[in-house]
Amino acid sequence: MRQNIKEAWETVMATPSAPILEVTDLVKRYNRAARPALDGLSLKVRPGEILGLLGPNGAGKTTAVSIISTILRPSSGRVTVCGIDLWKTPRRARPHIGLVPQEIALYAELTAWENLAFFGRLQALRGARLKERMASALAAVGLEAKAHQKIATFSGGMQRRINLAVGILHAPRLLLLDEPTVGIDPQSRQLILEKLQTIKQEGTAMLYTTHYMEEAQQLCDRVAIMDNGRILCQGPPQDLISAQAPCCSLGELFLHLTGKELRD
Amino acid sequence: MLRLLTTLHKELLLLLRDWVGLLVLFVMPAVLVIVITLVQDNAMQALGQGATEVVLVNEDAEAVGRRIETALDAVAGIELVKAVRGRPADRSAALSAVARGDFQVGLIIPAGLTAAVRAEARQWAQAAFSPRSRTATGGHEKARLELRFDPTVLGAVRSAVKSQVQLLLLRIEMEEKMAALSHLLPRGLQAAGTEASGLPGTDPVLEADTPTADQQDPQPLLVVAEDTALSEGSTPVPNAVQQNVPAWSLFGIFFIVLPMAGSFIKERRCGVQRRMLSMPVAYLTLAVGKVGAYMLVCCVQIGLILAIGRWLLPLMGTPAFQIGPWPASNLAVALSAIAAATGYGILLGTAIETYEQASMFGPISVVIAAALGGIMVPVHAMPHVMQQLSHVSPMGWAQEAFLELFVRGGGFGAVSGSICKLLAFAAVCIAAACALFVRKRRQGKI
Repeated sequence: MRQNIKEAWETVMATPSAPILEVTDLVKRYNRAARPALDGLSLKVRPGEILGLLGPNGAGKTTAVSIISTILRPSSGRVTVCGIDLWKTPRRARPHIGLVPQEIALYAELTAWENLAFFGRLQALRGARLKERMASALAAVGLEAKAHQKIATFSGGMQRRINLAVGILHAPRLLLLDEPTVGIDPQSRQLILEKLQTIKQEGTAMLYTTHYMEEAQQLCDRVAIMDNGRILCQGPPQDLISAQAPCCSLGELFLHLTGKELRD
Repeated sequence: MLRLLTTLHKELLLLLRDWVGLLVLFVMPAVLVIVITLVQDNAMQALGQGATEVVLVNEDAEAVGRRIETALDAVAGIELVKAVRGRPADRSAALSAVARGDFQVGLIIPAGLTAAVRAEARQWAQAAFSPRSRTATGGHEKARLELRFDPTVLGAVRSAVKSQVQLLLLRIEMEEKMAALSHLLPRGLQAAGTEASGLPGTDPVLEADTPTADQQDPQPLLVVAEDTALSEGSTPVPNAVQQNVPAWSLFGIFFIVLPMAGSFIKERRCGVQRRMLSMPVAYLTLAVGKVGAYMLVCCVQIGLILAIGRWLLPLMGTPAFQIGPWPASNLAVALSAIAAATGYGILLGTAIETYEQASMFGPISVVIAAALGGIMVPVHAMPHVMQQLSHVSPMGWAQEAFLELFVRGGGFGAVSGSICKLLAFAAVCIAAACALFVRKRRQGKI
């Protein structure tokens, strides 16, 4: 498997402009739903790029992340990760994908170390390589000293950081982050954002969903604002803001495009 | 394989850290088996209600056999059955049916009973008039009825049936004795009168001798041979320990559904399931690893309860639990029951949305299945409707198989039907859980 990952990565690096993630005309219809959750979604994320996927509740962000992480099968459309068709050979594509879910997707009664060891082994990491990656992931989120404490004893911010550490444990080429900083302290948020910048510099592509507009403006190279399963606009945040006068921030642009009515 | 072992290890770690869950899994059935066995050790001898099914084989086509049959038919609380599996019952079929537990009691009226009883009655009457002839009746083989009980039948039921039969036989015996006496009385009186007048020519059968109470034969004409019906090669030890130890072991292992369903629900609700589905490992591997951990826990549970029955309960005055002569069959039944319990746990964990719902529905459904399955009250002591319902309880299938092995002494052949039912139940639960899982995944509910 590691050989496959290496080959795919070498192919991608040989053509720097080749996207890590390419989504083409993605449609997802749920049974008995009045409209599709995704309606022709297309986007690309290149190596070392962070694409912010923004949208109100029910816009289709989580559905998109679920399909790209191989949890949910689309009704139609195509997704490739490192050139591998996701739904033809999901087992080959999965080693390239790291998922940081919106929930704290960890075992609260296990320690941070035990959680990392469990998920690392599921990612086919073994022996010295596993230990090295676990130590590196813990260091990246600043929790080396807490490695042997149960997750249940961690603060919300620490739990979010370990949640990220599990996602980056196997050094994925595509990192899917579903609101990774929701409800945490400013210090933990800052640490996470800094760590994501470091990962980006290592060439990892990221798809980042968030409701924090200033965070997206600060972190993302490009953003895609979507609603009702469709992308309304896509590009570098500053370019999108400039193109929509009199909007002077991403937050204003977001409200301008998606409206001010409440979404539940 | 390594990923499967990784999952198994993780699940065991989680279980070891869940003290409340372990208390539910181990202490609860252990306490139940001790308390219930000690309570029932005496109480089981006083229980039992409802009609008792007696399979009757009347090989005596004469008057006494017919009278026993008619009289038993009129006894309230006894339901006479004369056919086994749609065919008229013969001795061997009836005894096998009782040994299988199809009927609680079997009564065999032997051929020639009427002739034997009447001959006995005549001899008794002759002896009454002639003490010298009594020696001729000594050592004569008595007419013997066979009364066989299912080993699981409660003591009260045994006593009630046996008393009814003995009362009935006493009545018939008195009637036959009276008939024989009436027949001989005129000749006896004549002989007595002749002797009193000093004339020769007494009846050669009867000598003048007025019967007195102390001269009458105290032995009954009819004897009931009571026994427990058992399969061949068995070691019969029917008692509260043999019934309760496997019963409460089953109750304990079916309680695995609560932590197991809870574990599936927690993983789904906290996003761990989503994370695992995005990893390069088949979800089936993860599920098998998880189920394997719970199956191991069930094995330890059974071992603990059996050890309590074997070594702890005897210290409190009960008989020691006997494993019996079929350890491989015991293991097969235990593993099938564990498969059924874990299959049900997987189904609950997949179908139910919240831990709160699972913690209500899981234990209640297990208690209902236990009650229906004869864990608390033996099935044959239940009302007829409940006996019919007991056939739908997986715990009842497992309990029936354990009773077959530990109480009736049956072998693998006797429990293979129950094993098949338990495995089929597990397969249906797992198939339903898979279908639900695929549906939820398609709907984005994972």
